[in-house]
Amino acid sequence: MIKDCMKRNVFSIPSTATIRQAAALVVERHIGLLPVVDKQGKPVGIVGLADLLSLELPDFFKLLPDFDFVHDFGAVETTRPSPEEIDRPVTTLVQPVIFVEETCGLLRAYALMVKHNIHDLPVVSEDGTLVGIASRVDIGAAILSTWKTVTPSNP
Amino acid sequence: MMAQIVTTLIFLASLWLIFSEKLNRTITGLFGAVLMVGLGKWLHFYDETQAVVAIDFNTLGLLLGMMILVALLEPTGFFQFLAVWAGRFSRGRPVVLLVLLGTVTTVVSMFLDNVTTVVLIAPVTILICEILGVNPTPYLMAEALLSDTGGVSTLVGDPPNVLIASAAGFSFNDFLTHALPIVLVAWLVALLLLRYLFRRELAVRPSNADVVLKLNPRESLEDPKTARKVLIVLGGAILLFFLEEPLDLSPAFVALSAAAVALIGVRPSIKDVLRRIEWDVLVFFGALFVMVGGLEAAGVLSAMVALLDGLRAIPPVLLGLILLWFSAGLSAFVDNVPITIALIPVLQGLGTHGVNVQPLWWALAFGAGFGGNGTIIGSTANIVVASLSERTRTPITSTLWNRSGLPVMLATCLVASVLYILAYPLFSR
Repeated sequence: MIKDCMKRNVFSIPSTATIRQAAALVVERHIGLLPVVDKQGKPVGIVGLADLLSLELPDFFKLLPDFDFVHDFGAVETTRPSPEEIDRPVTTLVQPVIFVEETCGLLRAYALMVKHNIHDLPVVSEDGTLVGIASRVDIGAAILSTWKTVTPSNP
Repeated sequence: MMAQIVTTLIFLASLWLIFSEKLNRTITGLFGAVLMVGLGKWLHFYDETQAVVAIDFNTLGLLLGMMILVALLEPTGFFQFLAVWAGRFSRGRPVVLLVLLGTVTTVVSMFLDNVTTVVLIAPVTILICEILGVNPTPYLMAEALLSDTGGVSTLVGDPPNVLIASAAGFSFNDFLTHALPIVLVAWLVALLLLRYLFRRELAVRPSNADVVLKLNPRESLEDPKTARKVLIVLGGAILLFFLEEPLDLSPAFVALSAAAVALIGVRPSIKDVLRRIEWDVLVFFGALFVMVGGLEAAGVLSAMVALLDGLRAIPPVLLGLILLWFSAGLSAFVDNVPITIALIPVLQGLGTHGVNVQPLWWALAFGAGFGGNGTIIGSTANIVVASLSERTRTPITSTLWNRSGLPVMLATCLVASVLYILAYPLFSR
C-alpha cells in the first residue's frame, strides 16, 4: 500500500495564499510540487514549479514554434513578473489535483502517475485530508523491492 | 416581379447573416447560393448552367494560385527571416524598427496574403520587443495598419481589389498607375501619423539595443532552398502580371502557372500544401458569385438602377466621394469582401444606365481598403494582431485601437479623397 512508502512530512499551502507565498515555500523547502488545501486540509489543487515559472517565460515562448536564432534573451532575462501578477491568489494558477487514498495499491498509484504524466502523488486519509506525498521513485522502488521474493528461474 | 422580390430577400438575408456574424459566412453563402438556384429553377429565371457561368473563375484561379505560393513559402521561415532581419538591421532604434517592420509587412502583403504575413511576422515582432524590453503595441499596430493600407495598391494585394478588377476589367498595371500613387501618399501619411501618435513609446531608446545584433536571421530560415525557389517563381509571376496585357494573359493563368511551376520545383507533400489553402474563402467567393448571378438573372439589377436613377443627378466627383466614405464607414465594422460584392452589382447597374463608373470602382477600392483600419474588427489583420497581443502582457484593446487606428483611417481616407478630386480626370479613363 502507498501509505508504507509515502513521505509523511508533506508541505502544502492554503488556498487563500498568494502566488508569492507559494513561490517562497518552494524556494525555502526546495520542492517541485505544492498541494493546495482548503480549511479542512483537503487537497483542492496543486501548484508546481512549472506553473510558477510560466510567469517568468516570455510571451514569444508560447507564440513561436522555435527560437534557436535568439542567442540572447536580453531584457527578458532581467524582467520579473509584475507585483500584481505574483500577489494574485495562488488559486489562479492551480492545476486540478490527482490524489489517492493511503490504502491505494502501489501499481494502481504508479499507473495513475504514468497516465496523467505526474511525478508526485498526494495521498489522503479516509476523511480526505492530506497526509502524505509519494514520488515516482518512492512508489517505483517499493514495487521493485518486491522482486526479491520472486524465485530465481535458474536456482 | 416575384423572382425579383425573392432573390432580393435571399441576398439581403445572406448579407445580414454575414454582417451580423450570426452564421459563418461560407455556410451562409453556400446556403444562399443553392436557395437562389433552386428558386431560379422553380420560377424559371435561373438554372445550374447560368450559375456556373456566373462564377468568376478568374478571381478564384488568381486567389488559389497565390494561396498555393503562400502555402509553399510559409513553412520555409521566410516571413520570420524578414522580421528578424528588420530587427537586427534596426540596431534597436525604435523608429527605424517601426519603419522597417511596417515596410517589410507592407511590401510582402502587396503581393501575398496579408493575413498570413501578419500572422507570421507579429510573433517575431513580439520577440524583438520583449528582448529589447519595449512595448510591442506600436509595432504590431503599424504592421496591421500599414499592410492594410499598402494592400490597396496592387491587384493581388487585397481580396476586394481582385473582385473589383474582375468586375471592372482592370489590369495589374491599372492598379499601379491609378491606385499605387495615391496609396503611396496615404501610406506615408499613415506612417508619419503613427510616428506622432506613438511618439512617447518611440522616444525611449532601449538600454540594451545591441541585443538585436545577436539575432541570427539565417538561423530563422528553416528551408532556404525552397524559399529561394518559390521566391524566384513569385518574381516571375509578378513580372508576368506586368506583361499581362501585351501577352494577353489573365491574372488567374499567371498565378496558377506560377503555382504549378513552384509545385514542380519544390515537389512537396501535396496534402500538406492543400491543407494550408483557405478553401472557405474560395467557396464563399464562388457562392457569392452564384447569388449575384441570380440577382442579375431575375432582373433585380436593372430594376435597382431605375431606383438609383436619382444618383445620376449628383455630380460624378461627389458621387465618388460619397461611395468612398460610405464603403470606408461600412468596412470599419464588417469585412470588406461582402461590402465589395454587394456594391459591385450596384456599380454595374449604374454602368449599364449610362453613368461613367470607372472612377467609382477606384473610389470603392480606396474606401473598402482604407476603411478597415478604423476599428479593431475592421480587417482580419487587425483581429489577428489584437488576438496575438491578448496572449502577451500588453494586450491591444478596442479603445487603444480607436486611439490610433481611427485617426489613421480618417487620414488615409482624407488623403485619398483630396487626391481623388485632384486626379479625377485620370480615374475617369
